[in-house]
Amino acid sequence: MAFIDEDESLVAAALAGSTPAWEKLVRRYESRIYNYGLRLTGNGSDAMDLTQDVFLGVFRNLHRFRGDARFSSWIFRIAHNKAMDLNRRKALLQGQSFNNEESQDFASRIADPNRAAEPEQRLALTQQNRQIQKLLQQLPLEQRLAVELKIYQSMTFDEIAQAQEISENTAKTRFYTALRKLKTTLEESHVLS
Amino acid sequence: MSCPKTRHLMTEYFDDRLPSVARTEIERHLEVCEHCAAELEELSALKDTLEGWEEQRVPHWDRGTTVFRNAHGKVSGIGGGWTWQWLPTAATFVMFVLLAFNVSISSNDSGFTVAFGEVGELFEQAQLEQQLANFASMQQQQQEQDLQLFMAQMAERLDNNYLRLMQAVMEQARELTAENFEQIYTYFEQQRQLDMETVQVSYEQLLDSDFETLRSMEQLANYVQFQGQLR
Repeated sequence: MAFIDEDESLVAAALAGSTPAWEKLVRRYESRIYNYGLRLTGNGSDAMDLTQDVFLGVFRNLHRFRGDARFSSWIFRIAHNKAMDLNRRKALLQGQSFNNEESQDFASRIADPNRAAEPEQRLALTQQNRQIQKLLQQLPLEQRLAVELKIYQSMTFDEIAQAQEISENTAKTRFYTALRKLKTTLEESHVLS
Repeated sequence: MSCPKTRHLMTEYFDDRLPSVARTEIERHLEVCEHCAAELEELSALKDTLEGWEEQRVPHWDRGTTVFRNAHGKVSGIGGGWTWQWLPTAATFVMFVLLAFNVSISSNDSGFTVAFGEVGELFEQAQLEQQLANFASMQQQQQEQDLQLFMAQMAERLDNNYLRLMQAVMEQARELTAENFEQIYTYFEQQRQLDMETVQVSYEQLLDSDFETLRSMEQLANYVQFQGQLR
């Protein structure tokens, strides 16, 4: 396996039944997908569910990967679809989506992030990450995705527009609106703390 | 104090692919508009905060290898059983090759010899032809020796006969009378018959010898045919 390093080669080997190739492919992207899940869902449990869903989707659709797009783009398209599915499922089951779980009394929580965090996350997440996570949870999903793709996936507005099937101007507006909302939230939390 | 351009400028400012002309224009406005400059400063600080996300380690999980192995079990699980599954096919193939190419394996003191069909047969046939040629040559030599011996015996026998004849003629010549002519004629006639008998015996011996040769050849041919049928 030492000589197989390209994503496309790993995909081909995995399709041929190579478990090491599959594992290498998963190791390469699992962190990016999991962290994407942490920021998007706001908790480790959902992030892990999302990670597993994404790689299950990758596994089931691996034969459809033609190599005409980068594997990283392809896997994040699957991740995006899975995130939408997970958000819809949660909304149906609990009457709430990712971002509504802790929206109430957020300003006081962000001043003391440990109160909102789950016990296992408190051990795993740094204070910086917890704060970011709580901030992002204040955004509607489409704005959160715009921030995610622009800041963490380093996409251009043109690419975000394609990924979310919106116009480039809408992508720019979503990003700006998200930043404005977060700024307002931070200002409120500073006033309260 | 607000600025009507703030929203538009901010949405464009974070575009990495903004044309340089537009960026220069924004920068120029920011230098003169405090409100827009303050907004940009706050948003940039927020962006920096968000960019401060530290990559979290993924909790331990099986990386889907269980699902992967189960799905590919039929392929990768064959492993040890693969050989056994194909063994009958391999055996059939070997048998086919043995029959198709008429492989013959023979062992002797010097080891094993593997011969392939036509090649082996041709080789064997060439060997046989060589043996037959040798045999024919030996037979010919034998016949020549026999013939020389026979001729020598004939010559000796005839010489003896004629010597005796000459002696008899010389004896008879001394007292040659008319009535003795008949005796001489009778004697010659006897000698002639004796010679004829000798030649006949010799001829029969020659025939016998040829017959023997013919029988040897027939036996050899039968043997070769028999060997051919065995294979």
